[in-house]
Amino acid sequence: MRSIELAFKDIKQILRDKKSLLFLVLMPLVFTLFMGFAYGQMSQPEDPRLAVGWINLDEGGTLSAALRTDLERSEVLRLEETTPEQAGRLVQNGKLAAVLTIPDGFSQKTLDGEVIYLDLLADRATSSGSMAEQAIRAAVVRALSAAETARLAADLIRAGGSAVDAAALRQAAKAASRAWAAPALGFTIEKAQADNQTTAPAGDNPFNQASPGMIVQFAVFGLINSAMLLVLERQNGCLPRLLTTSMSRAEVIAGHLLAMFAVSFLQGLILVLAGQFAFEADYLRQPLATLIVLSALALWAASLGMLIGTLAQGEDQVILYAMAGMFLFSALGGAWFPLEGVGRTFAAIGRWMPSAHAMTGFQNILIRGQGINSVLLPAAVLLAWAAGCFGLAVWRFKKEA
Amino acid sequence: MKILDIALKDLTQSFRSLFAVGMMFAAPLLITGLIYFAFGGLAGGEGGNDLPDLNVAIVNHDRPTGDNPRLGELLVDYLQEDSMPDWLVAREMLDETTARAAVDRREAGVALIVPADFSDALLSADHPASLTLVQDPTLSIGPAVLADLVRLFVDGISGARIASEVISEQAQQAGVAVNSADLQGATAAYAVWYADLQRNLHHSGQPILAVRRPAAGGQASEDPIKTILGATMAGMVIFFNFFTGASAAQSILREQEEGTLARLFTTPVPRALILLGKFSAVFVMVLVQAAVLLAASALIFGINWGRPATVALLAFSLSLASTGFGILLLSGMQSLRQSGPVIGGVISGTGMMGGLFTAGMANLPKAFNTVTLLVPQGWAMRGWKLALAGAAPAEVLLPVLVLAGMGLAFFATGAALFRRRLA
Amino acid sequence: MKTEANAIEVNGLRKNFGKLEAVRGVSFTVQPGEIFSLLGPNGAGKSTTISMLAGLLEPTAGEAAISGYSVRSNPTAAKTALGVVPQDIALYPDLSAYENLMFWGKMYGLRGVELRRRAAEILEMTGLADRQKDRIGTFSGGMKRRVNIGAALLHHPRVVIMDEPTVGIDPQSRRHILDSVKALNRQGMTVLYTTHYMEEAEELSDHIAIMDHGQIIASGTYAELIRLIGEQTRMDLTVNADPDIAVRAWENLPGVSKVSRENGAIQTLVQDSNAALPRLFEAASQAGVRITGVNIREPNLEAVFLHLTGRALRD
Repeated sequence: MRSIELAFKDIKQILRDKKSLLFLVLMPLVFTLFMGFAYGQMSQPEDPRLAVGWINLDEGGTLSAALRTDLERSEVLRLEETTPEQAGRLVQNGKLAAVLTIPDGFSQKTLDGEVIYLDLLADRATSSGSMAEQAIRAAVVRALSAAETARLAADLIRAGGSAVDAAALRQAAKAASRAWAAPALGFTIEKAQADNQTTAPAGDNPFNQASPGMIVQFAVFGLINSAMLLVLERQNGCLPRLLTTSMSRAEVIAGHLLAMFAVSFLQGLILVLAGQFAFEADYLRQPLATLIVLSALALWAASLGMLIGTLAQGEDQVILYAMAGMFLFSALGGAWFPLEGVGRTFAAIGRWMPSAHAMTGFQNILIRGQGINSVLLPAAVLLAWAAGCFGLAVWRFKKEA
Repeated sequence: MKILDIALKDLTQSFRSLFAVGMMFAAPLLITGLIYFAFGGLAGGEGGNDLPDLNVAIVNHDRPTGDNPRLGELLVDYLQEDSMPDWLVAREMLDETTARAAVDRREAGVALIVPADFSDALLSADHPASLTLVQDPTLSIGPAVLADLVRLFVDGISGARIASEVISEQAQQAGVAVNSADLQGATAAYAVWYADLQRNLHHSGQPILAVRRPAAGGQASEDPIKTILGATMAGMVIFFNFFTGASAAQSILREQEEGTLARLFTTPVPRALILLGKFSAVFVMVLVQAAVLLAASALIFGINWGRPATVALLAFSLSLASTGFGILLLSGMQSLRQSGPVIGGVISGTGMMGGLFTAGMANLPKAFNTVTLLVPQGWAMRGWKLALAGAAPAEVLLPVLVLAGMGLAFFATGAALFRRRLA
Repeated sequence: MKTEANAIEVNGLRKNFGKLEAVRGVSFTVQPGEIFSLLGPNGAGKSTTISMLAGLLEPTAGEAAISGYSVRSNPTAAKTALGVVPQDIALYPDLSAYENLMFWGKMYGLRGVELRRRAAEILEMTGLADRQKDRIGTFSGGMKRRVNIGAALLHHPRVVIMDEPTVGIDPQSRRHILDSVKALNRQGMTVLYTTHYMEEAEELSDHIAIMDHGQIIASGTYAELIRLIGEQTRMDLTVNADPDIAVRAWENLPGVSKVSRENGAIQTLVQDSNAALPRLFEAASQAGVRITGVNIREPNLEAVFLHLTGRALRD
């Protein structure tokens, strides 16, 4: 009972501090909005087809014409005429994803068997540059393939005793290019969903990454308030005073843990509801599963807060440890960017992180459309981490007290 | 001289604080290090060599008719070849249900379903062959790379088919009789040429399609990882520079609460000089921080920050801006306890507006870019992106002047407010 | 203005905070080489007066000078002649004792060899030479106070202001501080000492000014102040019932000039204790109250304050 009183005291102190609301609610919401917007725009560019610059110095060339025709059929990019003088600036400014320059004599020299280099101005570090490069490379392969086919045909015809002139060579290349026009392969892409879903998961909603990501990140960051209370209690003499009462150490620890859990859970709940109603992240399709993940996350965050509170010697250290924890767990756990896109070692380490399991739990609900069974393992891992952090915190608390 | 004494005293106190040193130097380097560690596997434009494993469950229903080759089997063999990326692990499964279940259980990232008419469709060109790709909806890179690899395979087959058909057709038109051995020879020659072309495009130092990165002077394309790291580190330098500026300015509040500021005011040193001494310490600290971070990141991560004069200009103007911003921010605070969270919130918020947390992302909408102009961090980010791209000092003059102007304006306002408060 | 004779000269000093008149026209003079105490209860205006002399607050009206230098028109010179020991510890906890002294010395214009020599002297004087490299934050309260005082003496000020330096400290440290003040004074330093402890003012001071509600209500030597209450004797009495009953019964008795209550006891000032005592007993009895204790005290500054204000010094 006294632990509950202690917990209420802690919660009252936290909620009385208006600045707590800044860290607990306002900042995570703003960050969610921002990051969701950023992810969304990144995966769905304003114009689905990338603008690519076209500089053709090979006027009248068969292959360059074929290449142009191929690229104009593309669903990925659209061509825009440009000049060499403008090319660099337009790519740098992002107005063009890339600029392809066909050198003078490209068609004829290629058909003659010479190696002619094409120039592609693109920033591979950007997704648009990378996508443009891939699409252009495939088209260039087809164009060169048409040329090679023409040369092979010409070789065969000459071997049979007939002559092949330049016009015939061009004719053959055109024929090969036309043959490439018919797509050889179609893909049907399905995103896996659980069977008994009544509504389709919004897999393409960028807030399905941003919302749980920020819940996880700020679950750790929000500990600053709770951990600070522990530190201040030690510094202002109230903790020694508490220990002179008949309250046991276990009760003191339980009280503080309960407060931290309550604050963390409440924060998570607000962010889940914001995600549900403001950002269309459908947590409530599986309310019990969401509750399980949220509770496990809050418990881990609370135990981490206890550990920080017992380790930190001053207010500055609380902020330092909380921020370090936030950065580490968020980055390694896939809260900032999906672990799919990172190096193998990083991903392997990340998958042990409690934050990664929290993300998995939430995304199983939001994106994979799965139910309670899918969150049991993530919740178990979170609880194991909570037990570990809590154990360390208790050991430390007893040692100090 | 007394300004120096006061500034030196402040600097001594700051550099003795583990927290301050941690936030000034360790944190930005660590975060960038994390990013480097995370994305180190994405070197190169083809999706990289060190991505996390993508398990592919292949279901091969292909039943070619007549003498048609078993392209479905070839596809399976192709995906299981040693030359495939290490992270691609392809296994055959018995049926579609098993494969889909594997995706649901996250045992496989993608299920690739090869239909019964795959070979026939590919070889006939009457209608396109169709594959079904069932993917884990949280993945995007792996499935996209797999689709590209499959398209490469298919293009190779299609190319050979087209070569065979066109060669035959052209020979016929030229009145030359070709037999199947001739055609096979030509097709084989095509296949060799195709393999050579792929090697040239993906592994040669002089590919036929030469990709150049847009930069001043048209420099050769750089490692994209360095590009991401450069932008990320720039974001970190700017964020922590502003954080340090504000934290350092807190020393005025701290001295006020500890009583040493009042004591300073009882000495013969004029108040204006006392404040100037403290402000100088803030400026020196952020300037030193910027210099150390730039040097350290160049050494550790190999980031090429650009031309020295450009870098120096930007570092100086950034330091002016972060000093002024910090002083202005603290001039409105009444106590240390109040200032801590406000600093965290304001610096994070303005950092976000300035695009510091999305530095490595591309294709952000125009609205974002407009918003960044409202805060000094946005201008700083602009300047550093130009520097990373090799801009000359004249090219960064606008962001430098705006930063310096903002810094001086913030400083003047903040200093005036402090003087009024402490008069 | 510059007058050679006086260490501190205060003339009609006023300070208003909005409508609140914290200091209402205070005037006093401190001679070179004397210890001058400003005595008064909390809120009397002592610290505000000191803050104006130290240059922390701008006076609303009036003039003050330190060693002849006006604090308003020539603050730099005034501050150079002055050393201020704040009531609370005003040192940098993350710097060592030596670093603190070096810094404060520089703020008073000391440099180089002279500064190092003075810092060493102060460390010897405060008995902290062997702890000079340790951070102030690791010092005990008493040690911090010693450095706090030492930092004000580095530049050989002609005048030292000490603002309630013994509040909230243990008796041993308090003793040490009082002895230090006397030692400084023996070396020729003028000391302006503010306190609400009458016994300190009594022990240390050549001259005392009593402040209350922003004004100096009396000033002079100890003997002169005591003579203000004439031959009156102070008697402290305790009763067995509500003291207010006794206060009401005694306040108009002949021969009793002042009656006030301090916590559970009643303080009285009487002309003749032998004559007054029976009357006090009788009046108490008539009021239904029994006197349980009587303490006859020698006249002191508390009695003076009581006489002048009708209140105890430590209300």
